[in-house]
Amino acid sequence: MLPAPMAAAEPTPVVPVIHTQGLTKHYGSVRALEDLTLDVQQGEVFGFLGPNGAGKTTAIRTLLGYLHPTRGTGRVLGLDITSESVEIRRRIGYLPGGIALYDSLTGARVLDLLADLQGSAPVRRDELSERLEMSPKVLRRRVRDYSRGMRQKIGVIQALQCDPELAILDEPTEGLDPLMQQAFYAILEVLKAAKRTVFMSSHILNEVERVCDRVAIIRGGHLMALQTIDDLLARRKRQVQLRWRGAAPDLTGIPGLADVKISGDRLTATLSGEVASFVRAVASPSLEDLIIEPARLEDAFLEYYATEDENGQPA
Amino acid sequence: MNLRLLRQTLSARRSTLLIVVLSAVGWGALVPVFYTSFSELMADLIAAGMPPIIENLMNFGSGSFFTLPGALTIGLQHPMAIALIAVFATGAGATVIAGQRERGTLEVLLARPLSRHSLYLSMAGALLLATAAVLAALLVGQLIGSTLLDIVDEIDGALMPLVWLNGLLLWATFLSFALAMSVSFDRAGPAIGLSLAFLIVNYFLEILGSLWTDVEWTQEYSLFHHFQPSEILTGKADLTDLLILGVAALVPAVYAWIVFPRRDLAAPA
Repeated sequence: MLPAPMAAAEPTPVVPVIHTQGLTKHYGSVRALEDLTLDVQQGEVFGFLGPNGAGKTTAIRTLLGYLHPTRGTGRVLGLDITSESVEIRRRIGYLPGGIALYDSLTGARVLDLLADLQGSAPVRRDELSERLEMSPKVLRRRVRDYSRGMRQKIGVIQALQCDPELAILDEPTEGLDPLMQQAFYAILEVLKAAKRTVFMSSHILNEVERVCDRVAIIRGGHLMALQTIDDLLARRKRQVQLRWRGAAPDLTGIPGLADVKISGDRLTATLSGEVASFVRAVASPSLEDLIIEPARLEDAFLEYYATEDENGQPA
Repeated sequence: MNLRLLRQTLSARRSTLLIVVLSAVGWGALVPVFYTSFSELMADLIAAGMPPIIENLMNFGSGSFFTLPGALTIGLQHPMAIALIAVFATGAGATVIAGQRERGTLEVLLARPLSRHSLYLSMAGALLLATAAVLAALLVGQLIGSTLLDIVDEIDGALMPLVWLNGLLLWATFLSFALAMSVSFDRAGPAIGLSLAFLIVNYFLEILGSLWTDVEWTQEYSLFHHFQPSEILTGKADLTDLLILGVAALVPAVYAWIVFPRRDLAAPA
C-alpha cells in the first residue's frame, strides 16, 4: 500500500502585530478617527505622524481599550482590542503622552509598582536607567522633585522595563533634551535588534525619519499615507537651484521639473522623480553651481497638510 | 481584585488613615465623658422645668444623652464622627478614580493588565477597609472611655461588633455612592460635590426629624435612620435595617460595575 501523499507544507501566515480594519471613533458629532486601516509588522519601528488633534492619541487609546470604537475592528498581537484588552496590555508597554506619575512615590517605587502590576520582571530596567542616566540615587528621589524630562524618562523606562513584545509610545521624546533623545534612539535600535515592535506617535519629523521603518500620516482622523520612509522621500519634490555663466537656459521640457523661476543667471524649481536623469539633462560646461536640497520627511509631511478646508479637514 | 493595587491604594493614604484613626479613638473616648458629665445635670434641669426643646436636643439623631447606649449613638452620629468617617467613605471614595483620571495616573494604571472591574474592586476594597478601621477606632475609643469611667457595664460589649457591622453597612452605602460618582466623572470636583450632597441630605433628614417632632417623618427617608446602635446595644436590633443598607450599598455598586467598563476614557485635558 502506498503511503498517503504528504500535504505540501503551507507557509505560516504572518500575523501583523497591529491590524486595524476601518477603525472609527466618533465623539458625538466629532469624527476623531475615521476608517483607519493599517498593519504593523513584527520588528518594525512604525511612526504615526500628525499634528495635534489629528487623531493619533485617539487611535492609540482605541487600540488599548481606553476608548470603544464606533465601528471597525482592531487586533493587537492577534488579540481583539475590545474583548481581549487585558491580555493585550499584559504583553505591551505603553507610554502615554504627557505621562502623569504618583508624585508622592520615589521613581524606583513607581517603577516597582508598575512592574508588579504588569506581572513581569523588569528585566530591562537597569539597562534603560543607565542609558537614560537615571542613577539609583536619582531613582530614590520623589517624583514630585523630578523635572519634566526626568518624568518622561521614568515614563520611557516603565513602558519598556518588562521587555514588552510591542511598545506603544505616544510622543516619547517630548521633554527630553537632545542628548537624551539620542539615548532614546539608541534604545530603539536595541529594541529593533531584539525584534521588538515599536509603534510611536510623534510630530518631530526628523526623529521619525531617523528611527522609523514606515510611517502613517494621519490628518483630521483620516489616514493620508502609509509608506516606508524611503518611498515617502522618493516621491516628494526637491528644491533645486542652478547658476550658469551667462543667462540661464530654458529648461522647460525636462521631466519632473516644475515651478521654474529664472532670475538672471539663476534658476530655481522643484524636482520630482529621478535625480540622475535631471543632472544629465542640465549638465553643460556653463553650469557653475547646482544645489539639490535633500529630500526631507518634513516636506513630504507638509505636502499632505498643504490643502485643508476651513475646518482643518482634508480638502 | 488586585491585592497589589489594594495595598498601594491604602499605602498612599497611610498617614491620613493613621491621623483619622487616632482622632476617632480620641473622639470615641470623649463620648462617655460627655455622658457622665452632662446627662444627670440635664435630667435634673429638665425635671426642674426646662423647655421641652432641651430634651429634644438631648435626643440628637437616634441617640439620647440619658443612657450610655444612646450617648454612644450620638457619638457615632455627631458631625465630628461623620467628618472622620467621611474622609474615606466620601472624600477618598469620590476622588479615587475621578481624581486619578483628572491627574492622568489612571491611564498609567490601566496600561497594566488590569480590567476596570478589578481596578474598581481593588480601590473599593481598600477604602472599605479604611472606613471599617475608622469605624472600629470610634467604637474602640468608646469602649476605652467607658472602661476608664467604669461605666462599661451599662452596655453589652458583645454587641459592639453588630454595631460596627451596622455602621459599616451605612458607610458602605455612602462609599458605594461616592465610587459610583467617581467612575462617572472625569474630574474630581463634580464627584465630590454630588457625594457630599448625598451625605448631607441624608444627614439633614435624620437630624431634622429628630430635633423637630412635627417633621419626624423625614427620618424615614434617611439612610442614617437605619443605623441604630442604641437599639442594638439594648438588644432590640432590627435586621431589616441591615438588609435595607445592604441593598442601598449594592445599587450604586451595580451601577458602577456596569458603567465604568463602558465609559470612554479620552486623554486627560
